[in-house]
This record gives sequence, C-alpha cells and structure tokens, in this order.
Amino acid sequence: MLKNLTRLLLAASTAAGLASTAVSQDKPIVIGITSDASGQYANSGASDRRGMLMEIEEFNAKGGVLGRKIETIHIDTETTPATGSRVAERLVSRDKVGFLVGAVSSGVANAISQVAQKHGVIYLNTNSSSPTESGKNCHRVKFVWDGNGTNFSQAAVKSSVDSFGKEWLLLTNDYVWGHNTSAATRKLAEANGAKIVDEILVPQGTRDFSAILLKAQQIDPNVIAAAIGGDDQKAMRTQVADLGLGEKYAWLNNQQDWPDIYGLPKENLFGVFGTTWYYNLDLPGVSDFVKRYQAMYPDTSMKVPGNVFYNGYWATRSLLEAIEKAGTTNNHAVIKELEQLKIPADVRMQHHDAYMNAKTHQMQQTIYLAKANLKGEEDDMFTIVTNTSPEDAVDAGAEQTCKLESFEETPVYEP
Amino acid sequence: MELLHGLLPHIVNGFALGVLFALIALGFTLIVGVMEVINLAHGSLFALGAYIALVVISPDPDILGAFADSYFSLPLVVRYALALLVAPLLVAAVGFGLEICLRRTYGKKKEYGLLLTFGAALVIEETIRLFWGPAEQSLQIPAQISGAFIAGDMIYSNYRVFAALFGICAIAVVWLFLDRTPYGSIIKAGAHDSEMVQALGINLPRLRLLVFGFGAGLAALAGIILTPIWGLRPHVGVDAVIPAFLIIVLGGIGSFWGAVAGGILVGLAVGITGAYATDWSILSMYLLLILVLTFRARGLFGKKTVLEQ
Repeated sequence: MLKNLTRLLLAASTAAGLASTAVSQDKPIVIGITSDASGQYANSGASDRRGMLMEIEEFNAKGGVLGRKIETIHIDTETTPATGSRVAERLVSRDKVGFLVGAVSSGVANAISQVAQKHGVIYLNTNSSSPTESGKNCHRVKFVWDGNGTNFSQAAVKSSVDSFGKEWLLLTNDYVWGHNTSAATRKLAEANGAKIVDEILVPQGTRDFSAILLKAQQIDPNVIAAAIGGDDQKAMRTQVADLGLGEKYAWLNNQQDWPDIYGLPKENLFGVFGTTWYYNLDLPGVSDFVKRYQAMYPDTSMKVPGNVFYNGYWATRSLLEAIEKAGTTNNHAVIKELEQLKIPADVRMQHHDAYMNAKTHQMQQTIYLAKANLKGEEDDMFTIVTNTSPEDAVDAGAEQTCKLESFEETPVYEP
Repeated sequence: MELLHGLLPHIVNGFALGVLFALIALGFTLIVGVMEVINLAHGSLFALGAYIALVVISPDPDILGAFADSYFSLPLVVRYALALLVAPLLVAAVGFGLEICLRRTYGKKKEYGLLLTFGAALVIEETIRLFWGPAEQSLQIPAQISGAFIAGDMIYSNYRVFAALFGICAIAVVWLFLDRTPYGSIIKAGAHDSEMVQALGINLPRLRLLVFGFGAGLAALAGIILTPIWGLRPHVGVDAVIPAFLIIVLGGIGSFWGAVAGGILVGLAVGITGAYATDWSILSMYLLLILVLTFRARGLFGKKTVLEQ
C-alpha cells in the first residue's frame, strides 16, 4: 500500500513538474522598462525605449527567447530617483517582471539598481553615465551600457589641455552624474598640467544661464568643461550660442546625447563632445540599422537614431542573446553570460571590439569625439574627430571602487 | 569698488530677469485679484502662446498652400510682430473658454476652481504634445534683436535687452490701462469689491470673462518673449507657473505693483545668487518668500485684513 502511494505521489509530482514546464514555456518573458517619460530626460528616455522595443520586436519576429514571447511593461520614472525606486519595486513585486531595463539619469539608475539587487533581478542601465554606476554603485545584477564621464574625459582632456590652454572652468549639473563627471575631468586635467580656476554648480532644472555665463566671462578661462545634461544643456547651448561664447572659449562638453541636440541649430553645437555612436559612421551594418529604425519609427520627429537609441538597442539585444546562450532565465546563469560578453566591431557597428568588464559590469567600447558639422545636411550634425579604443579610454579607478556582491549574496531569480 | 564692479553686471542682469518674471506674474495676479481664482493653467497658457507664435512665424507650408511663398517672403520681423499680436489674442479666446467652464465653481469651495484649472493645465499641455510632439523646438527671432554686444569687457545678449524693454513697456501699458481708462477702473473696483461693482450695474460675468481673457493673453505674451531664453517644450509652463505663484504671494495677492516688485526682487535674488552661489539660485526665490512672509504675512503690497486695520 505504501509502495502504491509512493508511486502515485511520484507520478503526480512528475506530472505537475511537466505541467509547470509546459506552462513556463508558454509564459512570456516580461521586461520592465524603467525609462523617463517626463522631466529633464524625457526625450532621451523616449529614445532609449525605442531602441529596446525595436530589438524586442526583432527577437519576437524570430520566435522570442527560448520559445517564449517577450512582453514589456513601461512605467515613467520621471527623472526622479524616488520614483525610480518605487517603479522598480512595483515592477518586480507586483508585475513580476523578469528583467529591468533602462535609465538615463544616474540618480534614477542607482535607485533602481538597489531594488534590483535586493530581489536578484538583472538590471540593464542603458544610458546613464556617472562613473559611480560602474564604481561605488556597481551591483552584481546591474550592467552599464554607456560610456561614463571618465571614459569621455580620457578621450578628450589631455589633447584639450595641450591644444587650448591650462585654465579650466567646470560647469557641473548639481547631481550625481554631473559631480562625478566633473570630478573625473578635474582629476585628468590636473594630471595633465591644467588648473581648475573655478567650478560652478548648476542646479537641475536651470533654464536661465545668464548669471552663470556672465560669471564665466568674469573668470575668463581657456577651457570650459561642461557636465550639463538633458533640457538644461539645451537651454545652455542656446544661450551660449546667442552670446557668441561658443567661439570665445574652448568648450568641452563631455558626453553629448543625440536627443539633447537633435533639431537645434548647428551653431549651437559649439565645442567638442563625446559619444559612443553616430548614425553616419562609415562602418558595416550602420546604414541597415538606420533603415530599420526609420521603417519602425516613420513618424518620430528624430529622423535618424543616435547614441541613446543605440545603447537601448544593444543592451536589450545582449540581454536576450545571453538568455539564449545560457538556455535559462536563471539570473545567475545569465549574469555569467553577460560577464563574458564580447562583441566584434563589425557586429557592434563601432571602430573597435567591445567587451564587458566582468569586474565592474561596464561595457568597454569605442569612444568618439565629435564637433559640429556646419556644412552637412540637416540631420548630419556631427563630424567625428577621433575614435578611441576601449583600452585607451578605460576608467581605471572603477575596478578599485566597485565591489560586486558575490553570487551567494545575490538572490536567485528565475522568471 | 572691485566688488561693485564685479557685482554690477549681475545686478543689471537680475533686474532684467526680474522684469520678465513680473511679466509672467502680471496676468496671474489680475485673475487672482478680480476673480479670486488661482489659475493653475497659467503656465500652460504661457506655453500655448509660444507654440501658436511658432505656427505664426514658421507655419507648415502645406497648410498655407498657394499663400506659402508670399507668406514666407514676409521678413521674419514682420512675422514675429504678427505672432506677438495674434498668439495672445488666440490664447485670450482659450481663456474665455476656460472662464466659462469656471462659472459653475463660483460661490462654491475654492478647491473646485483650483482643480478645474489644474485639469485644464494638463489638458492644454497634452494637447500641445499631441499637435507639436514632445521634442524641444526653437522659436525664431529676428536678426535685429538677436546676437550680442560688448559693454566694458563683457558680452551681453541683444535679445535679453529687447525682452527686458518689451517687458517694461508691457507693464507700463497694463498699468496705463488699469489706471487711466474707465475699463481699468472697473477691473480695479472688481478686484476690491465685486459685489458692489455688480450692484452698481456692471455686468460682472462679462467683466470676469474679459479679465480672464486678458490674463491669458498676458501669459501668452510672456511665453513668446521668454521661450527664446528658456527653450520651447510642452512642459515649459511649469517653469512659469511656479515662479508666478510665488511672486504674487511675495508681492501681495491681487496687487499690480506687488507683482512687479515681487518679480524684480525674485529676478535679483536669482541673478545674484546665480553668480556667486549657483546651487542656491533656484532655492533663493523660496528663501526670499519665507523671509518676506515672516515679517509681512500679506506680502509686500498686499491688502490689510480687517484685523490689521
């Protein structure tokens, strides 16, 4: 009798296991999109989202991932860390998403990543560029896809000191990305013989730069290194161009996100700035990629994609490919795949091969320096000045400050 | 002396900024004064004015059809002047519509009016987003008022000088209207005692309609003047309504000169802290408000209550 009961129980549990496997194969993989739809980075958030959605559509057209369709839930993180935290918690606890993807603001990204680590949910920080994201705020579950302030400074600072002079003024957006980017610029500039004559903190949401620009004129530096993002940067560019100060000083704008300048008069694109990708690079795959974007988004005001879209696309693609390679959605297995990620230059549509730094979880990639293309067609706003290999633009300090949690400390999560 | 020399450009800049803040607050304070309605849609009307100006200055050629060539052959300065005239009138019409919607809330709890104007603000902002999209746009300004000039060893913006002078003229015109015309007297009387005005045979509903439209038109005018400085995007109105509200409280609710003085003080606070303690520049207007209200709860030029008289 006991033997029969045991056989019955065994059969029942096998059937239940098979049934749950059958159910999980039909169950979609849900990605929680944590991008801004309002606030300082609303435009970039929309671009980021488009990149993710294009990749997801392409994957679904091929049958999804592990035979499972990919679905998304997006909630606006409002360019506000507290909202980011709340959104992440809701997406994980209530909506039971499998993965979290998206950020432009580093403050928001940091808030989301703490929630993600708590639950063991893999989080892709697509577009935020504070060096702290792959430094002291790194997490085992978080992967950073954008170049950071140190990478861009590495690519730009030394040559700027040599070319333009040693007296530097820093304009710093008063939040984590601005502070850390300016700190990286300061360190590199001083290491190369420059003197930081002043640093002006610019609160987020600043629209009127008149007092700041008057102060800058009173200081009269050789170089102005600006770590100002989003809508603030648009206002700054317009007002600097109006005063003709773009010609008076050498401007170094660290990273320039495409949505922040698309549509502005080219005269507003003064100075030199960094980016991780440009739609007009003469490289394999770029033209086809642009055409796919235009086919999917014929009505968007941005007629060509930029770096923010590109990062959103590649982060999502790499995640889905890692799940496929791992053969499972188990977070530990997928993390291990992502840590070994290597993408050849021709696939990545950049000049150099890209790879994931397993110690900091930041994608190492080509860093481009660009300036305004005053003679090009309407959308052709950049002239690429240099491309720097990942090795030459590396954020050397990150490995010392980043302490990834161990796998034992990271909860298992298998959506 | 050197300190004064360093401070002077910032004082001048702060004053110019203050005039623009006063222009934003003017329409807001008129509506509050006469109708005791806090129009939270003021910022959205500010934005709408700028977007309509965008259409007047650079319309879609397909919409103009056969007239496109002749319209675009008009100098930019003419199209800009046309925008300064047409956009406030159209937004005033929107203001009329909003006032008609508000009528049901008169005599009831003040929150109803607040909620309605808040809802209207969201509707207007989303309508802007629907028609013009979420991306930042730029408002063309004529070459005659763009560019820069050098004074001393500093570069200043021509447009800022134009904007400040325009603001001063607009404030002067509004003051002349209120102080020197019969209609202005009626509006001021309505602000003081609307029931008495009605008892004297003045058509109060029509007065409210006109004041609301006037206030909306002033918001639109401020939007056209300020967006070349602040940028043009659907939510730019938020950058206007918060300082506007702060300024009318600072200056004294319903007071014309209070709005002007409040605007200039806020401009000076933001302008000077913007130079020497930039991280405090946005906070400075709120600190100024706290300081003033601590010592004078009704604001700089606010009316005394019965208990204070």
